[in-house]
Amino acid sequence: MCSTCGCSTHGQGTQIQFFVTGYDADNAKAVEKQLLGLPGVLHVHIHTHDGETTINYNPSKTRLSELTAVFEQKGLQAAI
Amino acid sequence: MEVSVMEDILGGNDKIAAENAQIFKNNNIFALNIIGSPGAGKTTLLEKTIGKLKKSLNMAIIEGDLFTSKDADRIASHEIPVIQINTSGGCHLDAAMVQKVLPQLNLAELDLVIIENVGNLVCPAEFNIGEDSKAAVLSITEGDDKPLKYPLIFKEAAVSILNKVDILPFTNFDMASAKNDITCLHPGIEIIETSCQQESGIDEWCKWLENAVKSKQNG
Repeated sequence: MCSTCGCSTHGQGTQIQFFVTGYDADNAKAVEKQLLGLPGVLHVHIHTHDGETTINYNPSKTRLSELTAVFEQKGLQAAI
Repeated sequence: MEVSVMEDILGGNDKIAAENAQIFKNNNIFALNIIGSPGAGKTTLLEKTIGKLKKSLNMAIIEGDLFTSKDADRIASHEIPVIQINTSGGCHLDAAMVQKVLPQLNLAELDLVIIENVGNLVCPAEFNIGEDSKAAVLSITEGDDKPLKYPLIFKEAAVSILNKVDILPFTNFDMASAKNDITCLHPGIEIIETSCQQESGIDEWCKWLENAVKSKQNG
């Protein structure tokens, strides 16, 4: 998290980007909320119009498969 | 594709934090790490907490600050044990700093140790110090956008205190939005609204603490 002050590089985590098809305003909000509720997910940014979805997370707390499961549950297709 | 996890570079800190946690456990002490920005009202909240709980719980406070003993002096005026740790510029407390001062407390007589971390919403959230729980203090003056901007502390905290609610009418702080963001980040987190000036919410906060102590002591 705090790479600027140098006290740790531990929490910077991983940033991953998906391209998701099938978003509308409602399900994008629901996906954002569900992803943010997963352990270790710190930030979610969704571009509804083109499906670009950026997630910052700690892979030691949430597996990639748990992220993709959120898209699947909403009937969305996600590609990395 | 699974992302590989690198070695935990905070392993050294976590090892000492585990030792601290064992010390607290051996002494039946609930340890709380209280985290928030400078000026969020952490020390004032502690003063109110001491006023309410010092007759029913044996407590001690560990104060973390970059410099000075101003906070410890305030706490000491309430006649409970207090230790000041000066980090000399360091932006957070780590487990070793806490371990070093624990022998100064009569642990066998304590129910509750509250550790007020250095005022900072970022770094303290990353460093376990052996606490049972973290509490995140966010004041109304900081703005309702802070939970999403500083997510880790709200992920890590068991309880979030929204402090200084008495000045809500004079700000554009959106309470519903802040609470929604916090619960998005951490479903199930306890959120308590407080005003130390008007002493509102302090009973609820103290009840949360008492229950946490009881729960720890009952195993």
